Amino acid sequence: MADDTKSLAQGLKRRDPELLDLLIEQYQYRLFRYLVYLTSSRERAEDFFQETWIRVLERGHQYDGKSKFEAWLFAIARHLVIDWQRQKKMQSLDELTDPGQDQPLQIEAQNEPSPLHQVLSHEEEASVQDSLGRVPAIYREVLLLRFQEELGLEEIAAVLAAPLSTVKSRLYRGLEAVREAMQGGAA
Amino acid sequence: MSNEMHARAEKLIARERVEGLAGEEREWLANHLRECPDCTRLAQQTDAALHSLRQNPIPFPAGLAARTQFRVRLRAQELQEREPQRRLVWIICGMSWALGVATAPYVWRAFEWVGQRTGAPKFVWELGFGLWWTIPALVAAAVLLMEKAGRPGESDWLSQEK
Repeated sequence: MADDTKSLAQGLKRRDPELLDLLIEQYQYRLFRYLVYLTSSRERAEDFFQETWIRVLERGHQYDGKSKFEAWLFAIARHLVIDWQRQKKMQSLDELTDPGQDQPLQIEAQNEPSPLHQVLSHEEEASVQDSLGRVPAIYREVLLLRFQEELGLEEIAAVLAAPLSTVKSRLYRGLEAVREAMQGGAA
Repeated sequence: MSNEMHARAEKLIARERVEGLAGEEREWLANHLRECPDCTRLAQQTDAALHSLRQNPIPFPAGLAARTQFRVRLRAQELQEREPQRRLVWIICGMSWALGVATAPYVWRAFEWVGQRTGAPKFVWELGFGLWWTIPALVAAAVLLMEKAGRPGESDWLSQEK
């Protein structure tokens, strides 16, 4: 892995377009999913998706290859979202996602793989999204990074630029919140 | 079974999924779950919730990857084209700095002479000398800012209120 990330770092330093094409394809689903969770909006996630890769191109020389590429990628995406929130005169992502003011996760489905899949999974998907929408975004984010992206706790701390203890406490609270939300959704 | 045991089990169920458990704790939890249907249900609900989270499909927009690749390539080309210009700016800055250092004693005397001729207080012409030194940096900053301002498409949408 170390060799892979080193050669990746070198390629990013060179701004190798072939490499970037490959990375965009490789990480497209994971990055987009993360952005959707972070912004609660597909449309906005699409904008941030493009902007994140532009930023990867421009700041590629800053990736040192010592950590996982996805952790660095998610950190860039997260910073972009936070910068945008600040531009909107919001104080922080945490404030935006205050449990009391949290907006439900609204994902309008489009361009699904197949109509059949859409019909079959629609109910379950809607139910899961509805339940997840009730989980505050700061918790949704760490849950996604831990249980979908399977990042280590230290890697999540690096993405969030937060202490390990904060990551753990968010994970525990998030786990509780998602369990309650699912129970509530099922009830 | 005491409430403390249930509370401990609840904590361990969460910790097992977040951080993992050491052998002794894992064993304790497994024994407890064998005897406690309530905590077993809690563990199952937690797993079900995480399973749903993992399985939650978010369809990827068609063409987004291709559009992004296109934008990234355009930007890469643009950066490549600007690289020599930027290098030129830095070379000029370096030369200007070197010339500034070499001519500093003469410039100092020139400012002193102008100060004496005009009767300006010492701190005024000294300040003028200091500002003289910032000119190359200001020019370089202006060039870089102009370059940034002229960069099309960058974060246009970021500055828009949605």
